[in-house]
Amino acid sequence: MKDHGFLLATYAPGTSLVHRTPLAVKFLLVFACGVASFVVADWRWSAVALAALAALFLLSGAGFRRLWRAVRALVPVLLVIGLFQGWQLGAPTAARIVLNILVCVVAASILTVSTPVQRLLDGVVAAVRPLQRFGADPERFALTIGIMLRSIPYIAGTFADVRDSAKARGLERNPRALVLPVFISSVAYARRTGEALAARGLGDAED
Amino acid sequence: MPKVTFDGVSVAVAVDHLPEPKMLLQDVSLELTEARVGVIGANGSGKSTLLRLVNGLVQPSEGHVAVDGQDTVRAVRSVRRAVGFVFTDPLSQLVMPTGREDVELSLRRTARNGAERRRLADAALDRFGLLPLADQSIYELSGGERQLLALAAVLAVDPAVLVLDEPSTLLDLRNRELLRRTLTGLDQQIIMSTHDLDLVLGMDRVLVIDQGAVVFDGQAATAVAFYRELCLAGLETPGPGPR
Repeated sequence: MKDHGFLLATYAPGTSLVHRTPLAVKFLLVFACGVASFVVADWRWSAVALAALAALFLLSGAGFRRLWRAVRALVPVLLVIGLFQGWQLGAPTAARIVLNILVCVVAASILTVSTPVQRLLDGVVAAVRPLQRFGADPERFALTIGIMLRSIPYIAGTFADVRDSAKARGLERNPRALVLPVFISSVAYARRTGEALAARGLGDAED
Repeated sequence: MPKVTFDGVSVAVAVDHLPEPKMLLQDVSLELTEARVGVIGANGSGKSTLLRLVNGLVQPSEGHVAVDGQDTVRAVRSVRRAVGFVFTDPLSQLVMPTGREDVELSLRRTARNGAERRRLADAALDRFGLLPLADQSIYELSGGERQLLALAAVLAVDPAVLVLDEPSTLLDLRNRELLRRTLTGLDQQIIMSTHDLDLVLGMDRVLVIDQGAVVFDGQAATAVAFYRELCLAGLETPGPGPR
């Protein structure tokens, strides 16, 4: 697999203010951005929020290239969404929707770029611990988040491979030749991952 | 050494277009107590099924498999703690973005404290010379490095038995040799399937599997000779095709 354009920036070690910010605050930032994307009605506010978040990302010292890598894979999808929404609902609405998606992705990237995965998982475990009395297993929650983070680049990489194979066979315009292999590979990957986790005794209920 | 016991084990799977279930393994009875056990056989012969039975990834349709007396179905969780499993393709097995994170994931159940987990993970990586690569993406590692990382992640929790399913298939000559040397130095009981007959020659006991049955069980050199004869019997040299 040759390309793993990651939808969220991977951890960049550092000691910046962003790195030192408590995990709960960063979680809240992501949550607030998600909620705001449904509430904000003016695209200009979305643009301001995006600029502020991009500045925060750069403050972490992770660099512009890492920021670009985090959103690069989304650009074609955002273009399609923007054009369609612009045609259906007008330019301001299209701009708001596209900017709000970017706000969410950059906010999540601030979290992942400044927090090691294991600390992120420890945070999830701590957050879910109160639900233990209702039968929730915090380690399973954490494992699910970890698997999600690993699966996004894998599926993105599979898509890149399948696209190249389709091109080599002159089938790049055939949606079935693109979608079906990605779907089958993703299901096979999910099965293999499940098997690997079972073999390592991960994801079992707490003793 | 631990004792892995197969008692009248058969594995059958239903196949859509067949009226009868397909037998993957048939009436296998074994007692494995040697430090190094090799499993060889053609593709589809039942090697992987035999190995997967050892840590409960596959359950027997008939009979029982036990590791040190613990049944792999009834006591699957404790069996999996005792049996580490290494897959052919390490990318199937590594579930975290970097090596250190993957080893730390293995340790989450045993080491609750983050700093302790980090220390143990670094020690496991250092043992295989992987510490300098600890924070690199698993995709940036070579095939050999990935396989060693998969091994490090499994061994971090110190299993008594290590099962390896064709671990050298995707490796080049240098990495195969590196893997061989690494395995030689381990304390664990090793049960390994492979197509690499040189690797098998260093084993204490070798099983030859054919069509779901153990057709030879004995000393390595004799087993390899038997397997060569079995595989190559009736194979004719292909002549020139039609012009």
